[in-house]
Amino acid sequence: MSILTWARTHSPWLIHFNAGACNACDIEVVATLTPRFDVERFGALIKGSPRHADVMVVSGSVPRKIRDRLKRIYEQMPAPKFVVAVGSCAISGGVFQDCYNVMEGVDKIIPVDAYIPGCPPKPEAILDGVVKLLMSAGY
Amino acid sequence: MSIEEHIKIVEDLVKEFGEENIYNTKVPRAYRAFAHVKREKLRDIVRYLKEEHGFVHITTISGVDMRENYEVVYHLRSEGFSFSLKVPVPKDDPKVPSIVDIMNGAVLYEREVNDLLGVFPEGHPDPKRLILAYDWPEGVHPLRKEWDIQTIREKVDGKRWGKDVE
Amino acid sequence: MSEREFVIPIGPQHPALKEPESFLFTVDGEVVVDVEPRIGYNHRGIEKAMESRNYIQNLYLTERVCGICSNAHQTAYTGAVEEVGGIEIPERAKYVRVFMQELERIHSHLLWLGVAAHEIGFDTMFYYVWRDREVVMDLLEEVSGNRCNYAMATVGGVRRDLPRDKYPKWHKMLDKLAERTNYYIKVASTEKTILERAVGVGYLGKEDMIRLSGSGPNARSSGVPCDIRKLTPYLIYDEIPFEQIVVDNGDVLGQVLVRTLEVVEAVKICKWVLDNIPEGEIAVKFNPLQRLPEGEAVYLVEAQRGELIHYTISDGRNMPYRHKIRAPTLGNIPSLVERLKGGYIADIPITIAGIDPCFSCTDRMAFYDEGKDKTWTWTEGELSRYRKEWYSR
Repeated sequence: MSILTWARTHSPWLIHFNAGACNACDIEVVATLTPRFDVERFGALIKGSPRHADVMVVSGSVPRKIRDRLKRIYEQMPAPKFVVAVGSCAISGGVFQDCYNVMEGVDKIIPVDAYIPGCPPKPEAILDGVVKLLMSAGY
Repeated sequence: MSIEEHIKIVEDLVKEFGEENIYNTKVPRAYRAFAHVKREKLRDIVRYLKEEHGFVHITTISGVDMRENYEVVYHLRSEGFSFSLKVPVPKDDPKVPSIVDIMNGAVLYEREVNDLLGVFPEGHPDPKRLILAYDWPEGVHPLRKEWDIQTIREKVDGKRWGKDVE
Repeated sequence: MSEREFVIPIGPQHPALKEPESFLFTVDGEVVVDVEPRIGYNHRGIEKAMESRNYIQNLYLTERVCGICSNAHQTAYTGAVEEVGGIEIPERAKYVRVFMQELERIHSHLLWLGVAAHEIGFDTMFYYVWRDREVVMDLLEEVSGNRCNYAMATVGGVRRDLPRDKYPKWHKMLDKLAERTNYYIKVASTEKTILERAVGVGYLGKEDMIRLSGSGPNARSSGVPCDIRKLTPYLIYDEIPFEQIVVDNGDVLGQVLVRTLEVVEAVKICKWVLDNIPEGEIAVKFNPLQRLPEGEAVYLVEAQRGELIHYTISDGRNMPYRHKIRAPTLGNIPSLVERLKGGYIADIPITIAGIDPCFSCTDRMAFYDEGKDKTWTWTEGELSRYRKEWYSR
């Protein structure tokens, strides 16, 4: 593989976006930074700005107020970019199906490349999902 | 405090304002009381409770759609004793007087009741939308019993969608 | 004073636990003059959904109102429903519920301590605290099977029991938590860098706090004794010997002290429960199709962030007619607005994080300087860099 591909797969920079979640998936994503699970040994950093990021980690059933923000953040990321939907709420609405303010699933707004189920998924599962995404990215 | 002292506070309130303004009083156990209150006397009763009996804390304001009218419930608290005042509001005149100048902490709760149930707080300094989206249509108040999920979706999105719809 | 209103874009979230939320600041040079919070980005319509599900299905909805206070919501919900239905739960179930609630309090306060350390730029402490928090996450996983959303409580009791042969191991884990927390209390009260950033920042006095109806550790750090576990005891809190922590600093240092001392008290309560739990059944039978009598109930719980209320009305069916939930952070926003006024821009992140909001600041804030009549927006990175420069002078 070329040097660009090698560089990209060995240093994925993540950005985490909470699209109306209950916070359980978010604290599990932040827990992957902590010394026990340590996502940084894979070269992944959690960045603050979408313009620096390769992979967007989204959690939450998407309420109406945040729908436009989510689209804007996705468009601000430079290509090639990937989206990972973490938690059952981001996949299909979770327990909040049939609630009046909820768009069921992130993939109704932006294209999603990987789904990590769980309520909330453990940090090991999140790491596993991101690694699988990189290996199958078609790089 | 014991349940006798709580009953005494409720009785003192009824004696002060009269049975036509406070009715249906209930003290189901120690530390809890419920009473219906007339809308015109709400501000005087809240001020009296705050100054005479130490009800300085407002826990929340709930809006309920009882089918023949609306009810706005004010939950006040004084050192553990939680007193809930229920104000019946007719459906053709959905307004209540605002208590923000007496209880400063009620500023966000009244906006929430206005947003979700449609009962307007008169005299509120800033009665804007609090929770619903900025492009949500006017007049669609989700907590009212006449709106169910598919009707709301039809009003807001223009179509019915979901797993029960073909 | 004029105010120009414009929509602030919700930017990318900062890695340390933020919920979507936005503020509009009016500034005069360096000092914040006025704040307007905008909420509602997390509104999912739970109260309306609860009216069309039965009481057992609603357990799963209330758990997921917030992932960090999920057990507090379950305690309040089951308490309110049992009060309406006149259901008495066995003694052993009350002890198990208290045990879970105090464990969750430890987990939430340690999480907050790490986030607050990160907000003032002390990343080393953030990593240390979250490493020690893994002890309580392991304990929660052993007891209930999950790290968040435990689903231990049900209407009529609890679902799972605490097996007696594990108690010695749990005592050791709780002792380790108390020892590490005492170390952090020592660090927080003597380390000069933390004191520089925390003393005098975001001050609010006792009268203002009472006037604005704050609750929880936010209010107790300003001298208001308002612990619901002492004022209107529920479950078995009137039998357990524990202290209410009240300090009168009124600033961010007060918040740190109140929360870390509460962790030590929570460890004591957990150990007391393990030593004194009686034998017996863990639940009374409750059928999802069972109808409750007509009535209403108000249930107050001391959640991790403040006073939580669940108000339920039943009309004789097996679904609630109306269920109202008010989370503690909504009650703490008016006092947050007062804390921010008169402070510096560089102190905004720690003041907002100081009340332990269940939402947090956005990435981009817009500033309107009325003296110079110009507006600009900043990202989180620029704000952190500004904060570091401002305090290194």
